[in-house]
Amino acid sequence: MESVDGAARTLPSIGRLSRGPPFGRAYGRFGLSPSGRLLPPAPLSQENADPQRTAFLLRKQWTLYSVTPLYRFSNAQLRDYARLLSAFIAAEKQKGLAVEVGVELDIKVAVSSLPDLKGSDQDQAAILVQLSSRSPASPKNSEEKLIWSGWFCCVSEDDLSENVPEDFTCLPLFLANGAESYTSIVGSWFQKTFDCCFRRLAISPLHLSWMAAMWTGCKVDKTACAMELVFSVPRLPQPLDISYAIHPEDAKALWDTVQKTPGEITQEEVDVFMDCLYSHFHRHFKIHLSATKLVKVSTAIASAHCDGIIKFLQSQYLTGVLMLLTELAISQIQ
Amino acid sequence: MDETVAEYIRRTVLKIPRDEIKTMLQKWGFLSETQLQTINFHQIKENISQDVVQLCEENSADIKQAAVLDIIYNHIYPNKRVWSVYQMNKTGEETEFFDLTDFKKKFKRRLRSALKNVTINFREYEDNAIWIRIAWGTPYTKPNQYKTSYVVYHSQTPYVFVSVSVLKSNLPLLCQALVVASNYHDIREMELRSHSLNSLKDIVFKRYSQNFQTYYPRPLQERNVAPETDLRIIQENKNEKERIERVNREVFGDGPQPKLEFAQYKLETMFKSDPEMDVLDKKEPFRCLVKFSSPHLLESLKSLAPAGMADAPLSPLLTCIPQKARNYFKIREKKGVFPGSFVSP
Repeated sequence: MESVDGAARTLPSIGRLSRGPPFGRAYGRFGLSPSGRLLPPAPLSQENADPQRTAFLLRKQWTLYSVTPLYRFSNAQLRDYARLLSAFIAAEKQKGLAVEVGVELDIKVAVSSLPDLKGSDQDQAAILVQLSSRSPASPKNSEEKLIWSGWFCCVSEDDLSENVPEDFTCLPLFLANGAESYTSIVGSWFQKTFDCCFRRLAISPLHLSWMAAMWTGCKVDKTACAMELVFSVPRLPQPLDISYAIHPEDAKALWDTVQKTPGEITQEEVDVFMDCLYSHFHRHFKIHLSATKLVKVSTAIASAHCDGIIKFLQSQYLTGVLMLLTELAISQIQ
Repeated sequence: MDETVAEYIRRTVLKIPRDEIKTMLQKWGFLSETQLQTINFHQIKENISQDVVQLCEENSADIKQAAVLDIIYNHIYPNKRVWSVYQMNKTGEETEFFDLTDFKKKFKRRLRSALKNVTINFREYEDNAIWIRIAWGTPYTKPNQYKTSYVVYHSQTPYVFVSVSVLKSNLPLLCQALVVASNYHDIREMELRSHSLNSLKDIVFKRYSQNFQTYYPRPLQERNVAPETDLRIIQENKNEKERIERVNREVFGDGPQPKLEFAQYKLETMFKSDPEMDVLDKKEPFRCLVKFSSPHLLESLKSLAPAGMADAPLSPLLTCIPQKARNYFKIREKKGVFPGSFVSP
């Protein structure tokens, strides 16, 4: 696969920023170079998008994967794919790779498109795969229970397709919710059918601290929940976990004094923000949080875990967070 | 035998690890040795419990006996529950003679006067510990044997260990009954909670080895210690490492630490920063909530400084936990002479 041109993507040029739509309606960009200057996620002014349609994505735990471009994927064949995937799952169960011990479940596959989830018009629309089950014992039109969901998406301001050969579809981010065994089966089918590769997307402490800083600065309407950082110190004789939760108003007040230029965030500012929090902690407990591992960040916008698990909490910032995750996925692929 | 009693006994037996069932039933003493001999303790637990229920049926077990089995289970596995600590106060210095019968009578009477539907059971143990099991009902429903509270009272002390489980609304009534029955004046909840009942006892009864701030005798320097096998290995910061070890020992004491799983600090102190940094300078507190958790918190904290993750000595906010007998704190800025020092109210 042709590697996407990293430099042009990660370092926004000033010219590009000024050419874009006015800030209030701009989708934020999240390049992640060390000295990178980024835009914080702006609240999405959704003209056409209906937050109700994506509401089902909120408050669920999604496991993240990076996916290499799919070969010969077509938006027009979603129904066929559903049929083929369904047959594949049935075959796997026949083989004895039963996913559910005991009750024989009748699994139905639905593949659909989520046009609202993209960064720009050139992005691929997100593709949603849902597995529902109906126990064969229950009547034909009884309710189906959703047992697994997974969706591919690409939320980026750039046109990634210009760097990718023809016949390839760029959907670098995959999010799954449900049993690992189903994720594995669905993943295998996609890998076989479209010659792509899935990899768990880990989030480094560096990226987590970016998220903490960025999301703390976001305006939220309702009374927000605390900004929480979770640290882990596993290598002690007795492991230790530290949860450090800050009142969201106080955290935002701190961040607002740290962030000097509106519309931009620098690595330095993130470092200062984190150092302030670390030193406040050290003042009280004499413990160096910087020597521990940051494993989870939770704000009113979203929560992210270093194992590559995300939870979206605000629909207006959904696209902003997805943009960041898409960037992470792309850098993992390269 | 009542259906509910049978089911309750069955579920209690299922909780017990299979290898322990026979011993516990023997402790219980409700089934005779001959009866116990008829049970095959090597079959699956599901079947063992059915056999036990069958035998209890023969002996016409009632809820009282079933409750005793539950107490025995919880006495051997107290760490399955979360325990809080309460301290009672009395005016006057006289230590009255503790009359167990009187205590039980007054306790039951006080509880029952307010709530008819309760099951109350007592069991005494060698270390002067009185275990009380209470199953709560409502004015209109029978006691729910699965919604129980446990109280462990050491009659020679003012301390009571309580595991409430679900119905927190019954707590005031429970406290009242305890105070009345034990002839104390009032009772207050300490900010101390843990799964490990024995550790809580260690802390309040001061049974752990405490650090002595005044004098710590240095061990004799052994001059002829066997040298490092490889002379190319040099211990950097040897003095610092030794200082950390020494300070750690002074602060934590030598012996094993009481076992707590968490400590929580509600911080309402000011945010102070390097004036050069030009950051937040508010007049209001910087509100935080910090939670430490670990399978063995104090041992974990003790190992932080030697691991290089913390300064030695560690903050008194953490090291005071056993002495202050608390693991929930609210920290506010101390006003006055020494800025940057803390009080916990």
